[in-house]
Amino acid sequence: MSKQNLAGVMGIYENPHILVEAMDQVRKANYRYFDAYTPYPVHGLDAAQGLKRSPLPFITFSAGLTGCILGFYLQYWTSVIDWPLIVGGKPMNSWPAFVPVMFECTILFAGLATVVGMFLLNRLPNQHRKAFDPRLTNDQFALVIEASPGVDEVPSSAQKQSKTYKPFLESEVQEFLRRTGAKEVKSVYTEEWF
Amino acid sequence: MTHSSTSMIKNPGHFSISDRLRNALVVFAMIGVATFLAGLRVDPDRIWASFLLNHFYFMSLGLGGIFFASIQWVTGAMWSAPVRRLSEALSAYLPVVAVSFAILCFGIPHLYLWSHPQHVQGDLVLQGKSGYLSSGFFMVRNFLAIAIWLFLTHKMVRNSIAQDQDGNYKWTAKNRVLAPGFLILFGVTFTMASFDQLMSLDPHWFSTMFGIYCFSGLFYSTLAAICLLTVYLKSRGKLDGIINENHFHDLGKFMFAFTVFWAYIAFSQFMLIWYANLPEETGYFLHRFHGNWKGVSLFLLAGKFLLPFFILLPREAKRCPTLLAWVGVFMLIAQWVDVLWMIQPEFFAEGPRVGWQELGVALGFLGVFGLAVFRFLAKNNIVAIGDPRLSESVFHHHQ
Repeated sequence: MSKQNLAGVMGIYENPHILVEAMDQVRKANYRYFDAYTPYPVHGLDAAQGLKRSPLPFITFSAGLTGCILGFYLQYWTSVIDWPLIVGGKPMNSWPAFVPVMFECTILFAGLATVVGMFLLNRLPNQHRKAFDPRLTNDQFALVIEASPGVDEVPSSAQKQSKTYKPFLESEVQEFLRRTGAKEVKSVYTEEWF
Repeated sequence: MTHSSTSMIKNPGHFSISDRLRNALVVFAMIGVATFLAGLRVDPDRIWASFLLNHFYFMSLGLGGIFFASIQWVTGAMWSAPVRRLSEALSAYLPVVAVSFAILCFGIPHLYLWSHPQHVQGDLVLQGKSGYLSSGFFMVRNFLAIAIWLFLTHKMVRNSIAQDQDGNYKWTAKNRVLAPGFLILFGVTFTMASFDQLMSLDPHWFSTMFGIYCFSGLFYSTLAAICLLTVYLKSRGKLDGIINENHFHDLGKFMFAFTVFWAYIAFSQFMLIWYANLPEETGYFLHRFHGNWKGVSLFLLAGKFLLPFFILLPREAKRCPTLLAWVGVFMLIAQWVDVLWMIQPEFFAEGPRVGWQELGVALGFLGVFGLAVFRFLAKNNIVAIGDPRLSESVFHHHQ
């Protein structure tokens, strides 16, 4: 284990209100990579962090629509094209009988796509970012300004050109976080997997 | 953020409608009475069918109001605290239901085949049902249901209004005892009312899902009405600082959910009958899938389900009061068409009839309904200002 790879600087806060206000200042200071670590969801943090709406609903909707159409096609193909069989004197394409399966396929596709999409968008699973401090799963709140993008976090070219960010200087960031009300500030280092 | 002080919320007080609106509602009510009296001379069967349609439609809205409020008491909901009084306002129409049902009793011979002894004789099925489907029992059990609704609504709304004065939790606690009882009785009595008043129009036909089908329409239209009333009062500036886009978002989600719920119930009822293909059950849908009724059935699929579903799907739509209000108006019309679709095929096999008889009586009921609801809002606070969960709700935010 080396202490060479600086991951960023962490400030630890005692309550969520100070954290939200500190987050607001960090966003305005125009740092490029920063994130919060809290024991439970904190209301208002998304807005303070300047997070945009997740594209997840569009993934869910597209997958649901796909599932619905595929569910219909599966039954249409089997009962009309591949093996036509009259059941109960009803037409081959008895769509009312198909609807429950179409519905189930819609839900199945949408549900699975939501889970997979959530993992992809959150860049999970991530072995490089472990809980930086055990207190963060108990009663403390942290804000981390990161030194550089994570290993798995490749910035897109569009982001690169969009605006210039405040450069990361370890001592300056430490001083900055102290001013935002952190009761404790420390540098954190990446840990390689094993 | 947590705010706990109730004093931060300004009581919007009562709400009085403009004289113009009040006069319009009075004129509507008079048009309704005139239409009804004229219709009795021209074509009694048709005017009674129209009366039943509008009686049932507005009864559902009034009942839906107290049903919604009861759900909030049972669940101890926080989000709905600022709009709960508006749903209680809808239930102010319920006393009128006793009157309109009393009038409906005079129309029994025009509406229900089972009330004619010469029709029942020689029909083994109807003879078997004659113990239940008889005019006397019909009136007794429906009046009993109305009495239960009126009694429990009166008690619960009175508790809610009493809380405005002292903000004491004991009033919520009382309603948390009454509301579950009401909900159970409501489930039984409303199923009975829809079986009796609508399903028995074709005394041979039966569907065990008919009660829940009528309920799905009831809640569908009630949510639209609550939303519309909220947007109206907000546009009058009466709910500023109390209702924000988060509350509209929640109302919109509710409307969206029950659009799906109606489709689910409607399809389930249809599919079970279609699949089993039993002669004593299929007639109901055969009537409604032929002639001009086919178009009405397709309108219900597209207009009552697909259109509101896709309009209300995006998050932004549910947070836009103007759009919600328009969808609400549309949903209320769709529900009216649905009740028409349940009633009229039993009288007019060739297709729907929407003329002065239907629209005039609808206007009349709308006038009386509006007067009852706004009279309640003129006498009481339009927000349950003493509700212990109100301040939490006013400042509630979504992630």
